[in-house]
Amino acid sequence: MSSDYDRPRADADAKACSYTEYDTKERATGDVPATGDGAEGLEREIWSALYQVEDPEMPISVVDLGLIYGLELDDGEVTIDMTLTYSGCPARELILEDVEQAAESVNGVDKADVRLVWSPDWSMDLVTEQGKDALRDFGISFDQ
Amino acid sequence: MSATEPDLGSADDLTERERNAVEAQLFRLADDEYVQAERYTFWQVRAPTLESDLAFANNAQDELGHARLWYDAIQQFGYSEESLLWESEPSDFQHSTFVELPFEEGDWADAVLRAYLYDVAEDIRLSALENSSYKVIRERTSRIQDEEGYHVEHAESWLQRMAQDSDASRRVEKALDHLYPYALTLFEPVGDVEDNIVELGVRTMTLDEMRKEWTDRITDFLTNLGFDVPTDEEPAAPIGRDNNHTEYWDELYEEMVSSYRNLGRHEATKLMGPEDDE
Repeated sequence: MSSDYDRPRADADAKACSYTEYDTKERATGDVPATGDGAEGLEREIWSALYQVEDPEMPISVVDLGLIYGLELDDGEVTIDMTLTYSGCPARELILEDVEQAAESVNGVDKADVRLVWSPDWSMDLVTEQGKDALRDFGISFDQ
Repeated sequence: MSATEPDLGSADDLTERERNAVEAQLFRLADDEYVQAERYTFWQVRAPTLESDLAFANNAQDELGHARLWYDAIQQFGYSEESLLWESEPSDFQHSTFVELPFEEGDWADAVLRAYLYDVAEDIRLSALENSSYKVIRERTSRIQDEEGYHVEHAESWLQRMAQDSDASRRVEKALDHLYPYALTLFEPVGDVEDNIVELGVRTMTLDEMRKEWTDRITDFLTNLGFDVPTDEEPAAPIGRDNNHTEYWDELYEEMVSSYRNLGRHEATKLMGPEDDE
C-alpha cells in the first residue's frame, strides 16, 4: 500500500466475525418492486410470510411498501433483495432481521439471506395499490 | 453513464490501481460525512429554535446514513467496521479538517455558514460522481442526491435571513473569514492517486474543477447577500486529506470511540448475536 493511504486492513478472516453480515448487491435485476404476483408453491408461502412483516413505523407490510426488489429460491435457500426508504434508517438491522426470520419461518426454507440493494431508488411510486390503501387509512395522503 | 466510459465492475474485479483509486474516493466520502455528522449533533439541542434543532438533527442523521452507505461500500473490499472506525488511529482518517473544527457555544452563524459551504461542495462532488465508472459509487450517489436536496436550500434560507440583520451579518462575515481557508481543504488531494481517480473515471471532475465551481457558486450567492468572500486565501493547514489533522480531531475521536472502549468492545455488536442466528 502506498504511504498516502494507510487505513488499516481488515484481517483476511474478518468474515468469520460473529455477527450477521448482510450482503449488498448494487442493483436489482428484475422489475421493482417485486410483490410475488403469480408465485407458486413454496415461493408463494415465502411471499405470504413477507407480507406479514410490517414497517416499524407504519401499518404496512414491507412488500406493499415496495421495499422487496427480488426473491430467489434455490433448494430451500432463499435470497431476498430489498431496499430501505431512507439511507439513515435507524431500524435497518431490525427490518432485515424480521425479513430473514419471516422467510425462515416457512416450512421448507432452510436459510434466508437478505441483500441490501440501493438501486433503483425507492420512491412512493413503488408502494402497491393495497399499500396505498393501508397508508391512506393510516392518514397519509397521495394526492398531489 | 456514457457508452465511451468504462465500467470498472464490482469490488472483486478491480486491478490494484483501480482499487486504490476507488478506495481513496470512498474514504474521503465516508470520513467527511461521518465527521460532519458528528459535529452537527452539537447543535441538535442548541440551535436557536426548535425547528432548527430538528433541521440540524435531521441533517446529522442524513449524513450519518450516507457515511454508512460509503463505509458499507468500503467493506466490500474486506475492511471491517471495527478497523474502519472503532479501532483506527485518529490519523488514519482522511476527512478534510474543515469538518472537524469544533463549534463555539452560541455561534449559530458559524453553524449555518459551515452547513452551506459543505453542502454546496457536497452537491458538486455528487454531480461529479453520478457518472462514476464504479457502479457502487454511481448508484449510491443517486440515492444520496435524492436526500441531499433540501440541505443547501435550508442553509441558503438562513443566510438570507441573517443578511437582513447587521449583527447577524457581522457574525457570518467573521465565520466566513475563519472557515473559508478550511473549506478549501475539501478540494485538497490525498496524494498521487488523485490523477488515477479522474483518469479511471471514478470521478468525472478534477479537484481544481470542483473547487472552481464551488468558489464561483458560493461567491455569487454570498456576494449578492452583501458578504465579502476572501477568495485570495490559501487552503488552511493541516488539510486532513493527507492524514494530518488539527488537535480538535483527536479530542472528537476520543469522544467518538469512548463508549466502545469503556464497554471493552472488540467488535461492533449487532442486534442479534450468533446464538440467536441459525
